[in-house]
Amino acid sequence: MSGAKIATSAFLVTWLAASVRLAGPVLLAALGEVFSERGGVLNLGIEGTILLGSLAGFLVSLFTGMTWAAFLVAMTVGIIASVFLAWMYVTVKASQVVTGLVFNVLALGIARTVYRRALGDTALPQSIAMFHPLHIPHLSDLPFIGPVCFGQTILLYVTLALVVIANFVLFRTHFGLALRACGENPAAAHSAGISVDRIRYVGVMISGATAGMAGGYVVLAQVGLFREAITSGQGFIALAIVIFGRWNPLKAAGAALVFGACDALQLSLQLFGTRIPAQLLPALPYVVTILAISGLFGSKAVPPAALMSPYSKN
Amino acid sequence: MAKLFERRLRRADSPLAIAGTTALALLAAMLLTSFLFISYGANPLQAYFALFHEPFATLRGFGYALVRASPLALIALGTIVSWRSGLAYLGFEGCFVIGAAVSSWLALLTAAGARLGPLPPALFLTLAIFFSFAAGGTWAGVVGMVRALLGGSEVLISLMANYVAIFILQFLVSGPLRAPGSLPETLELPRATWLPFILPGTRAHAGILIALLAAALVWVLLKKMPLGYELIVVGFNPLAARYAGINVAGRLILAAFFAGGLGALAGTVEVLGSQHRLMEGISGGVGFVGIIVALLARLDPLAAIPTAVLYGGMTVGADAMQRRAGIPSSITFILESLAVLLVLISDVLRYYRINPSALWNRPSATIAEGAPETASEGKDGGTGE
Repeated sequence: MSGAKIATSAFLVTWLAASVRLAGPVLLAALGEVFSERGGVLNLGIEGTILLGSLAGFLVSLFTGMTWAAFLVAMTVGIIASVFLAWMYVTVKASQVVTGLVFNVLALGIARTVYRRALGDTALPQSIAMFHPLHIPHLSDLPFIGPVCFGQTILLYVTLALVVIANFVLFRTHFGLALRACGENPAAAHSAGISVDRIRYVGVMISGATAGMAGGYVVLAQVGLFREAITSGQGFIALAIVIFGRWNPLKAAGAALVFGACDALQLSLQLFGTRIPAQLLPALPYVVTILAISGLFGSKAVPPAALMSPYSKN
Repeated sequence: MAKLFERRLRRADSPLAIAGTTALALLAAMLLTSFLFISYGANPLQAYFALFHEPFATLRGFGYALVRASPLALIALGTIVSWRSGLAYLGFEGCFVIGAAVSSWLALLTAAGARLGPLPPALFLTLAIFFSFAAGGTWAGVVGMVRALLGGSEVLISLMANYVAIFILQFLVSGPLRAPGSLPETLELPRATWLPFILPGTRAHAGILIALLAAALVWVLLKKMPLGYELIVVGFNPLAARYAGINVAGRLILAAFFAGGLGALAGTVEVLGSQHRLMEGISGGVGFVGIIVALLARLDPLAAIPTAVLYGGMTVGADAMQRRAGIPSSITFILESLAVLLVLISDVLRYYRINPSALWNRPSATIAEGAPETASEGKDGGTGE
């Protein structure tokens, strides 16, 4: 094999492995958001929920050293946050956009305050117990696909399993049907005997659980530190993935990979010092998402009909 | 037998009810935050005093409060124009970045030896305002156009557009506009392009005057001009607006244009008045905080300025509090966002009326929907988490 060929193949492997790695957490958050939005609630608060989840995961791992416990606590914190959010969205019937945005600011305040409280003013970056990449005998040693598909942490496989489960629940169970009915036509769902409020609570709580897990994922499998900048924007990326994936878990997985690939390509191109304006690459999937929502690219991405509209029985 | 809290058939919409429940919500937010202060061993009253003393009782602090308030006020005004027209535009981070980039670019062009060469400050400022307003307006106008003509959700599109703008900024400061050096940022803008400082001995700059002027113009637009009336009608009921012969799509696009222009002015004011160079992360979330300011001002253009000054002042006071008493300044984020959430929650209270007579256990003579003057002013019940 010539030198150029080896370099190209090395570049491809690093790039694809990085794409898969970057796609993991946002895909996890996007999966839950699909449930919330399919039920008619735009949960913009996942941005803040991810931040709280990452802080919880970081602190538990730091103080106990137990990675799984940390991951579960991150999820629990996400669920607790989402119960409050669901109460605002469903029971108070406050504007979903406003509630979500303001909650993100609240979460930022809470995260900063708690972090300083736990670690003091002059906290140096502390590293924590983390999930390690799995080494699967034989599979991980395969050329090319080994590092890309089998050099990842267990959390990626958890995420992939959840993609399949989410797709099954959404399209093959009574709950999934009821959820989609609440998002398309809550009045009809109500007359069919479905409790719209209860279903929507569950939808929002699922999005909270996965957002909390996504926060834990970033901290426990990728970074090992808590920095609010690390997760900032991930919630909105997840939102874009939901649209790009047209509110479908399987397509969302593909969308997450596209976002991850653009992001990873930008990083690699910067390392290689090419003259391509690499910073513009990550903007590409957002542009495509915008075109998809507006119907200018492919068939129009149509959100659930009752998205963002609170439902009251009378 | 009357109950103490009786559910009303319709929400009480009198100014008294709104003011009462809002005041109650703000008090509850301050009360909840007090517990945080106590947990740091601070007397809440002293803490609140410290929070407001620096920005509103010292000249230097007041100057900083105005610096923080100027971009917030402009973004709040943009929010007011678009949200009142029924366009839930959230792309102010993007507009801010666009405005900052356009005016920095223009400023760098007027440096000695650059393509344009030095311009008179008044001419430069006029050009900067014109071009950044036009650029931000176009940026947001496209979102308005997509919503009006194609029906895509402006909430989702404007959120996505923020990222496109942020990546464009990253490209500019690490490519074409990058100053020699290690950091991705531009050269310092020429001094002649800075906004003049208006209070001697402080950092307060003319940006707040631009914000005041903009607030007056937005007020005139919405309250005194047929165009503003049409915008508000479109916001309330697009179908009725169409029956009345209003060009709904055109009005939505125009509202987005104004909103984007005001958002871009916020970026211009920040970069020419305070930062004096363009860099990554220049917006720092101000595009979302500005929306919160507009909501706290209940989408009223005249209330936007004092609310922005109050908000900016609290940020300054919180930094001072952190330096002196070691209470983290992030507590103000909690205070401010709790205030908005509780105001939202307090709307629930307006569905109830209080029957004081129930306290004396007398049969009540009031009829359910007959006495609207007893504006509901429920107590507690609305203070969730």
